[in-house]
Amino acid sequence: MASTTRRTTASEQAPGKGAGFRSLQVEEFRIKSEPYYLPIADEVELFQTAYAQHMPVLLKGPTGCGKTRFLEYMSWRLHQHVPTRAEEGVPLITVACHEDLTASDLVGRYLLEREETRWIDGPLTRAVKVGAICYLDEIVEARKDTTVLIHPLTDYRRLLPVEKRGELLEAADGFLLVVSYNPGYQSALKDLKHSTRQRFVAIEFDYPPRELEAEIVQREADCSAEVARQLAKLGEKVRNLKEHGLAEGVSTRLLIYAGKLIANGIQSRRACQTAVVWALTDDAEVQRSIEEVVTSIFED
Amino acid sequence: MTAAEQLRERYAAELRGFGSSLPEDFGAAAAELAPRFSAQQLELWAQAGVALANYSLRSWEASAEYFRASPQVASAMRFEQLMAWARIATELAERSSVVSAAFLKATPEVLEHLPPWQLEPWARQGERLCRGNWKSIALCALYFSSSPRLLAAMSLQRLGELVAVVDALTERSYELATTCVEHAPQIFGALAPRDHEPFLRFAQAVTRVSWADTRLYLERGPALLERVEPEMRSRFLELAARVTADVGRQGFPLFAGAAAALGEIELSQHDAMLAFAGRLAIASPIAAMEYLKSAPFVRTRLTAEQMQQWAESGASVLLEDGNAEGAEAFFRLESTRAEQLMTALTARVELAHVGSTLRLYAKALTGEQVSVRSTEELVERGIGWVTESSATTEGTAIYLPPFISTFEHQDANFQAYKVFATHQAGRMEFGSFRYRFGDDGTQTPSTVHERERRVRGDAPTRATTAMERYFDLFPDRALIAALFTVIEDTRVDAYVGREYGGIRSVLRRLQAHEAQHRPALQGMALRAAFVENLLRASLQAADTMQWPHALEPVLRDGLSALRMVELAEATVQDSAEVAAALYDIAQRIPNVELEPDEQWETPDGDLLEVAASMPGGGAGDVPMPQGEEAEFETPPQPEFRGDFKPELVQLLMQLRQQREGDGEGEGAGSPITQQQLQELLEKSVELSLSGMEEGDIASSLAMFLSGLEKEGGTPQGEPRPEHGQQQGSGEEPVQQDLPVAIEWFHYDEWDFRAADYRPRWCRVGERVAPEGSLDFYQETLQRHHGLVAETRRQFELLRPETFRKIKRLEDGEDLDLDHAIEFLVDKRAGVGPQARIYWRRNKIERDVAVAFLLDMSASTDEEIEKQRPRRNEREDGFDDDPRKYFQWLAQRRAKQAQEPPKRIIDLEKESAVLIVEALEAIGDAYGIYGFSGYGRENVEFYTIKNLDEHFSDRVRKRIAKIDPVRSTRMGPAIRHTVHKLEGFEAKVKILILVSDGRPQDHGYGRDRTEKEYAVHDTKQALLEAKRAGITPFLITVDKEGHDYLGEMCDDIGYEVVADIESLPRRLPSLYRTLATQ
Ligand SMILES: Nc1ncnc2c1ncn2[C@@H]1O[C@H](COP(=O)(O)OP(=O)(O)OP(=O)(O)O)[C@@H](O)[C@H]1O
Ligand SMILES: [Mg+2]
Repeated sequence: MASTTRRTTASEQAPGKGAGFRSLQVEEFRIKSEPYYLPIADEVELFQTAYAQHMPVLLKGPTGCGKTRFLEYMSWRLHQHVPTRAEEGVPLITVACHEDLTASDLVGRYLLEREETRWIDGPLTRAVKVGAICYLDEIVEARKDTTVLIHPLTDYRRLLPVEKRGELLEAADGFLLVVSYNPGYQSALKDLKHSTRQRFVAIEFDYPPRELEAEIVQREADCSAEVARQLAKLGEKVRNLKEHGLAEGVSTRLLIYAGKLIANGIQSRRACQTAVVWALTDDAEVQRSIEEVVTSIFED
Repeated sequence: MTAAEQLRERYAAELRGFGSSLPEDFGAAAAELAPRFSAQQLELWAQAGVALANYSLRSWEASAEYFRASPQVASAMRFEQLMAWARIATELAERSSVVSAAFLKATPEVLEHLPPWQLEPWARQGERLCRGNWKSIALCALYFSSSPRLLAAMSLQRLGELVAVVDALTERSYELATTCVEHAPQIFGALAPRDHEPFLRFAQAVTRVSWADTRLYLERGPALLERVEPEMRSRFLELAARVTADVGRQGFPLFAGAAAALGEIELSQHDAMLAFAGRLAIASPIAAMEYLKSAPFVRTRLTAEQMQQWAESGASVLLEDGNAEGAEAFFRLESTRAEQLMTALTARVELAHVGSTLRLYAKALTGEQVSVRSTEELVERGIGWVTESSATTEGTAIYLPPFISTFEHQDANFQAYKVFATHQAGRMEFGSFRYRFGDDGTQTPSTVHERERRVRGDAPTRATTAMERYFDLFPDRALIAALFTVIEDTRVDAYVGREYGGIRSVLRRLQAHEAQHRPALQGMALRAAFVENLLRASLQAADTMQWPHALEPVLRDGLSALRMVELAEATVQDSAEVAAALYDIAQRIPNVELEPDEQWETPDGDLLEVAASMPGGGAGDVPMPQGEEAEFETPPQPEFRGDFKPELVQLLMQLRQQREGDGEGEGAGSPITQQQLQELLEKSVELSLSGMEEGDIASSLAMFLSGLEKEGGTPQGEPRPEHGQQQGSGEEPVQQDLPVAIEWFHYDEWDFRAADYRPRWCRVGERVAPEGSLDFYQETLQRHHGLVAETRRQFELLRPETFRKIKRLEDGEDLDLDHAIEFLVDKRAGVGPQARIYWRRNKIERDVAVAFLLDMSASTDEEIEKQRPRRNEREDGFDDDPRKYFQWLAQRRAKQAQEPPKRIIDLEKESAVLIVEALEAIGDAYGIYGFSGYGRENVEFYTIKNLDEHFSDRVRKRIAKIDPVRSTRMGPAIRHTVHKLEGFEAKVKILILVSDGRPQDHGYGRDRTEKEYAVHDTKQALLEAKRAGITPFLITVDKEGHDYLGEMCDDIGYEVVADIESLPRRLPSLYRTLATQ
């Protein structure tokens, strides 16, 4: 059947443009301007070095603590020295992993089209070809047989076997595999295989300390410094409850949401209630306690 | 010769035989009566007396009384009446001369209370008591002899009613009846006459249902009544009588309880309350009394109007819903509805209700593993705190008062709780206990080293903690402690105000409230007044300060120093510096009481706004008043700040660290010795102040030391479960006799009559089951090896089917070649097929958790043999030949001796072994628990294997040790198991209860034989399980129809294992069906 298959490459597919929305091929997504990222520790330096050395990176940290943002920022920054790239922006290919994610979903598959089958590259294949950073978000969610697929890509070989086509693709120079992993809520069952895990250098993320988080919130939510400070304080206090009724501490993302609501005229206590309290837990007891923290910090 | 003398002559002979006094008495009486009566009358009178004397052997005594009483009696009545009196006496003498004598003797005095025509009814009333035996005669005589006093206290009619009561009592106890008569005059004398009738009516009612209570009633009744509003007493008694007629034996206890309760309530409320109770009594007398009984408690939480509102709701349960049991439970405060409503109505906030919220709140604020406890618990812990009502913290727990009712609204009181908690949490969050000796503050450089050199020279410090070392620098320990407390609290309050803008206003309100309740300044000794003024300033109430005008510069210095710690970055180091500076100032102020005419004034605006600065010594030359100094007394702490004992907290933290082997941190290098602890206690301000005796100090020292040791031994952490101890923890604990840690849980219980839960009704104590030997497990496996192998095999089949291919999908992992070709063929043929040509592997995960709950009640001790129908065998086989029967019996005994008969519990154990083997094969999470207990406070819950515990030899040993214990309160055991399952992550959750089908416990129902209550509660608990997404299943091994659960488990999975011995076989297969549905 392979003989009847016409090869298609990504470049043949034009980006579709509809009314009101834009549809892009994954590798066409470009980061055009510098994303805002406030370094918390030495993560920028670490990543830079790892990238230069072709070392795959594992970003470990709770939800909404800035992993994606960090990667966007790093892709942009790393490609600055490439003149063409600087202009057209930096590709970052993101795949959200889930239970049913199969190897074909990553590598590519045949589709039937009229009388013939047509091959279509998966996102990983595209990233390998164009030399983009490929970000597998929540890698543990993917099935084990899928994760094994990335093994040859993540050692010195940097090869992606495309079994169905009997091909071996060598990764283009700018390619780097980055995976993320949130150790918080996974059960022991869903741990990364050691052979997978030991292929990555791990950069640990956590929520930023109070002052930095206040800065981030203020900037991202466009709220007052005082509100940002209070929200960061709330974040810190609520995170103290982690593992005591709360599976996850409140994310920077949620604090930013709350900040945005407040900046747009919602009363602060109410904003925190919707963006923080109710988003965090359904346990009435814990909700009540967090609300008390909220009412202690915010005056109205 | 007078008529009297003639008479005497005539009768002398007749009277001679009766002892010497009789003729004399006769003579004397005749002499007195002669002038009044005609000769004929006298004759009749005398004959009556003689007849009486002759009536029986001892009736001359009555006769003597007759003659003696006659003159007085005669003067009160006409002659015919006198004769009627004599006739009564004669009739009484027919029953007993003693009675007659008593009657005659009492008559003159009785006549002071009764008109002559009532003598007859009076006598007849008493006569009833006389039944011929000597006890009744004595009682009857007592009636007559007590009559003068009785009639002085009560009317004749009431006396008749009393006799009825007494008469009824005689059927039970003459002794009691006698006491009753003896005490009656006093009792009725004390009661208002209008209350006599209801008092007696109630007495009759009580006597009818529970004669023994009559004594109690007579003894205590009057005193109990005294506390009831006088106008209301008869109404109350009528109610009590009505209730008693209805409820029988409970009548008096209810009355006593209600009366005592009324006694605690303002008199003005009694009217309305009794009226309300009267309304309830129509439908449920018990509810009426329970209402009265709970009133004092309810009133501690609710105002009179709120209580009315609350009670109306209970009344509607009774009157509208017609649910008497419900209303009774409501007013007995054993109903969730009653409690919730009370909570909703009251302004008072209970720690029990808000404690867990505050705990998480404090945890959020501090980031520490704090627990929140009631101050009532603190003193018991014996670690140096002796006041029971103040909030405080010892570093890991925050102690708060059990309730707050300071403000009129619930919310305000809750906010107050928050401020209390925030202040204590603030001490942790803002570092009150992190004082380090010699570190600089952010506002002030440290001077403590210089001070130490000054005070101590080169002598090394003996202090165990930094705080202690600091306090040691100051000779007046009480003064420095007071100052440091004020300053550090000021700092914490300032932080709280800055960091927690949301409660700033509440904090201000509490500060203002406290400021209004400070002790008066004028009249305080001067140094104490100085500290008090600082405290007021720290409460933002500087305008309430008062201070001698001449000394204003001193106060100014103090205030500006105080303001230092209100600065944004101030630390505990600054507090220590400021307190030290203030100490120097305070030291110069003599602690004298000033003359009343001394000028105290409220400082003006200028002083209120002094800027923060350390004292420069400018006030040094202010002349101080002279006089005799009093000992310094620490001003009382504001409630929301509570006790502050940084030196003890540091000590405790150090001890805890020491235990945890964490050698780091200041001062942790050298372990604290007993002696150091002792010294610390001796320095403790509170103990020296409270002026204890030598012995007291020694004993509290011991308590303190052991308290501290215990503290140090307990690692800091989550609210420690209460720990109980089982018997058998000797001096030298052997491995197995170690005290068993018991964790307590409370659960509601369902009262089906009230259709409501009884809140926190049962206390479940969870503990790890004891261990037996390993042999049992192995032996069971060997004995049943065939069955074991078979069930294992069956269960292995259930193992998750990991990857199964699903075909004919529109999208999938890969093309399925067969289908693809088929598709193309179809397409060419123009059939227009669907492109379902992909396949994908599907993963089915097995995610099951099961909890087995085994009945360990005494009834499982029953032998199975016994339950087998054996009658036939016996009848057919041996009836004709007893020898055969004995032979059989002997054989059986011998067999039993070799191999003890199996009991239900043995089968439970064997089943446990089998199911464990099976479950280990399949890999499902499972827990095995047992339960028993006695009474609602003591439900025993044994963990044989926890859901998240790995299977081990210890589990094997615990199974071996499963033994029948006591009763069967299934409800709470089920609830606790549900609680455990809820805390466990799994898609499918199953609870399997294995029992003999008889829920039974002390107080689990109206009496021992009632099953309905227990069965309903058990069913309710199973329904709760269902609601929690758990599949409950019941297996009972009861064959004799004791199965009370079966009939009502309509929608709950349920099986009676027909042949008990097949339980081990049946259980695994049942599980299989359950877990694969
Ligand atoms: N250091 C930072 N600098 C700038 N913004 C940040 C930083 N950390 C977090 N943010 C903000 O927080 C938001 C959430 O971060 P992001 O989406 O990167 O989280 P994440 O770690 O990828 O979460 P998840 O695991 O849920 O995907 C970002 O949109 C960004 O606004
Ligand atoms: Mg992300």
